[in-house]
Amino acid sequence: MTLSRWIQIARLRTRSLFRRGAVERELARELQSHLDLQIDEYIARGMKPEQARQAALREFGGIARFQDEVRDTWHTSLLGDLRRDLRYSWRGLRRRPLLLIVSVLSIGLGVAVNTTIFALANTLFLSPPSARDATRLVHIRSARSSHASYEQWRALSASGALAGVAGYQIESEVNWLRGDAAVTLVPMLVTANFFDVLGVPIALGRGFNANEARAELDPRVVVISDGFWRSALGGDSTAVGKAITLNARPYTIVGVLAPHIRGIFGYGSAPEVYLPLSKTLLPYLTEPGAAVVQLVGRLRDDQTLADGRAAFTAAARRAEGTMVSPADTGFARIELFSPARGLSQSGAPGTVAAFLGLLLVIVGLILCIACANVAGLLLARNAERRHEIALRLALGAGRARLVRQLLTEGLWLALLGTLGGVALAVPLMGLMNRVSLPFPMPVELDLKIDAAVVGYASLLIAIACVLSALAPALQATRLSLAPALKDDGRGVLSPRLTLRRLLAIGQVAVSLTLLITATLFVRNLARTQSLDAGFDTAHAAVAQIAFVQDRYSRVAREAMIETALERVRAIPGVTSAAATTGVPLTIRGGRTSGIEITLDGFKDEVHVEFSGTDVGPDYFATMGMRTLRGREFRRTDDASAPRVVIANEEFVRRYLSGRDPVGRILNLPGDSSTEPTEIVGVVSNTKHRTLGEATRAAIYVPLRQRKIDSRVVFIVARTAHDPDALLAPVRRVIAQLDPSTAVDVRTMRSALAFAFLPSRVGAIVVGSLGVLGLVLAMIGLFGVISFGASRRVREIAIRMSLGATRRNVMGIVLRDAIVVAGTGMALGMAASVVVTRPLAAFLVDGLSVRDPLCYAMTAVSLAMVALAASWIPAWRAARIDPMAVLRRD
Amino acid sequence: MGKPSDLIQGTLDLLILKTLAAEPKHGWAIAKRIQQVSDEVLQITQGSLYPALHRLEQQALISAEWGQTETGRDAKFYQLTKAGRAALKSETAQWERLSAAVGLVLRNA
Repeated sequence: MTLSRWIQIARLRTRSLFRRGAVERELARELQSHLDLQIDEYIARGMKPEQARQAALREFGGIARFQDEVRDTWHTSLLGDLRRDLRYSWRGLRRRPLLLIVSVLSIGLGVAVNTTIFALANTLFLSPPSARDATRLVHIRSARSSHASYEQWRALSASGALAGVAGYQIESEVNWLRGDAAVTLVPMLVTANFFDVLGVPIALGRGFNANEARAELDPRVVVISDGFWRSALGGDSTAVGKAITLNARPYTIVGVLAPHIRGIFGYGSAPEVYLPLSKTLLPYLTEPGAAVVQLVGRLRDDQTLADGRAAFTAAARRAEGTMVSPADTGFARIELFSPARGLSQSGAPGTVAAFLGLLLVIVGLILCIACANVAGLLLARNAERRHEIALRLALGAGRARLVRQLLTEGLWLALLGTLGGVALAVPLMGLMNRVSLPFPMPVELDLKIDAAVVGYASLLIAIACVLSALAPALQATRLSLAPALKDDGRGVLSPRLTLRRLLAIGQVAVSLTLLITATLFVRNLARTQSLDAGFDTAHAAVAQIAFVQDRYSRVAREAMIETALERVRAIPGVTSAAATTGVPLTIRGGRTSGIEITLDGFKDEVHVEFSGTDVGPDYFATMGMRTLRGREFRRTDDASAPRVVIANEEFVRRYLSGRDPVGRILNLPGDSSTEPTEIVGVVSNTKHRTLGEATRAAIYVPLRQRKIDSRVVFIVARTAHDPDALLAPVRRVIAQLDPSTAVDVRTMRSALAFAFLPSRVGAIVVGSLGVLGLVLAMIGLFGVISFGASRRVREIAIRMSLGATRRNVMGIVLRDAIVVAGTGMALGMAASVVVTRPLAAFLVDGLSVRDPLCYAMTAVSLAMVALAASWIPAWRAARIDPMAVLRRD
Repeated sequence: MGKPSDLIQGTLDLLILKTLAAEPKHGWAIAKRIQQVSDEVLQITQGSLYPALHRLEQQALISAEWGQTETGRDAKFYQLTKAGRAALKSETAQWERLSAAVGLVLRNA
């Protein structure tokens, strides 16, 4: 048959199914037309109209009789059969509540985790940002940079190449005065036309408009998020027009965003405040070439993506003359907006995407295990019906027809399971939405059941139906008639390798692979937590002090830090305290530099890569790091003193070939210009960015010799006792300095939560999915062994009457289990070695994906659980009454 | 399926397809045409005509369209599809082979 004919047939079927009324009316009209034509003919032959009508009606006979027959042709085979099959198989299933419950539960759990993970991927990568007509939005970036300068944005926005071009960034911080203390917020800084271009839904008030919010006016307006409005302003309905204090200046609220806004930055990030760019907030705003904003554009209604790209490229080229940095006008990379592309534009979403991909594979495998359970149950059920099926085949039922009918059972189970699973996914999603992550900006994971998730769930129905019912249906209808009709279904010997056993072997193998993956992640967390950070994480408190950008001169700020340090040192229990611009393993873990330097005693310039941190006196002692050679920084290492630095062991090993560095002069370009700098000490290594990283070289610079001063400074306080006791006093003495300064005090351990986050999330999520897979696989194993034992009741009875003990009988059944579980585990091991290889990307340095301990632990625990799952059927088999069984036959 | 004095189902389908081969027709005209051409031997009742027409339409062998008769009445006109034309050809060949075979048996047995 040709494709077009299939399409035609499908169209007609659908029409007769869903547009029944229209089809009925059309038939009535057609029959009426026939009648009229007949009457016309009779009149033409000379009858009187009334007479003709009577005759025609008489000839027509009972319309209703053959209308039914016509209707039947509309519902030929497929759909009519489906309805019948659904009714029939539902009656059958209802009589087997256990089969129904176990199947629906299995598929339900599988579907619940699948839809939840899909909803997560959906919210992170697939859903467009909340904006008017989001499909017209485009990303804009140049080949060289994700950000544009303010001048570039102005020129491109004014060019009119697109309907609008706006810019945004989330790389700054502001201090918000909450009550009498300041809190650091990460605002979304946007160009004046941001709300005009995007059309973000606003609940109260409005977004700022391009005129009032121009950066040149130093605008003091703010749009706040729904979450901030509720938590900070108690949902005050008169909030618009009131002011909040940011960086010690009042900003007037002009609007409150609608709830559940999907931020333009993606990742579920939900900035609390949206502020127009200004020189007050970004002193370097108009500096030539300063990377200020990421660009987002809106295509005009008459523009295709290609049109927009062409128009924009031309505009960028025209504007080149006015550009501060003409080399970077290649703003040709314009793509339709999607969160996934937004992320890839802004950095490294790779790990997150890869992790989500891994999760999707894992939940897919879990669904397979669940479907294998159902398939096992259906196989058993079909085996009981061999008789009935054979009879129907013998009476001439087509195999395809029977397969279809048996598949309908799978459809019911998949349908009910998926409905249950989606219902279960709702609280799971709620749970994930409530998880709060240690990010500097609130993250709202807005997992919900939307069209995409519903579509995915419908797809799962089809997959679950085919996976669980197709193989059993094919197997059941393949039987050769004669033996099946004669056999009473209680044969003595079960064949060695039935489809059910194969399924169980597969389940064990897959669940072993899942468990190994889960164990790897759990081991990874344990490993991470036991990893030596290189500094004392147990006995320190960390205070993050964020000054308002331009409030104090550098001298005043240094004096304030000095005062704070003195006060902190005076707190009872504090043994030492030091200032620094970065704390390793936090978001502010220090700069990473890669530069050419000249080194005393080396001929050529050397390329060095290191982590740079500016620290005050006593820093290393306070952090619990060791000074291996030379000295710590002193109070006298200030701007007027000769330049000094301290290197770590790794720097010395890597770049000085282990030669004694103390007293050696190096030239650090850039910040410290080319002033000769002396290495005065060597300290022990620490981790900097992640616990799993390979050791990095590091250079420490005295806080007071650094030319660029940092707005954010940390004070680390060390105690011999519990650091929790320090939190309140440290906060109090620092907050006395100035209420506009945001102070956040934590124990070192909780400050490092960010560093543990990936391994913690990995261990929790993958670990629990592994356990779920194991439970489902064990249900399957239990089912297979029970069924195998029940099929061998007669054999067991005979053996027992011939003198076999209960131990012997248990041995027979358990041997069966050992063969199935053992084969599955062997296959699973072999598969794991191959398929877990890509997991290396998620594991800390030093933990191998083939970690023998992990394999051993997993194998032992799976073997024990498998033994437990088969023990019950074995025990039951050993307790049958042989006489009762044999008499029954 | 078969009704007394009715044609065998497949045969009626074949006759309908053949009748539509020349030009689109509505139900009443199809019945009339078969009646005339067969010298009033084959009487097609509405009770077998319309189920057959709808069945053929569901199989996409014919397609239907509303139009007007010469007398200005609304009627549903059926016409052969490409698949219908192919079916007509193969069914006709089949029929001829069968009737030839039956003829042979009747003459010679």
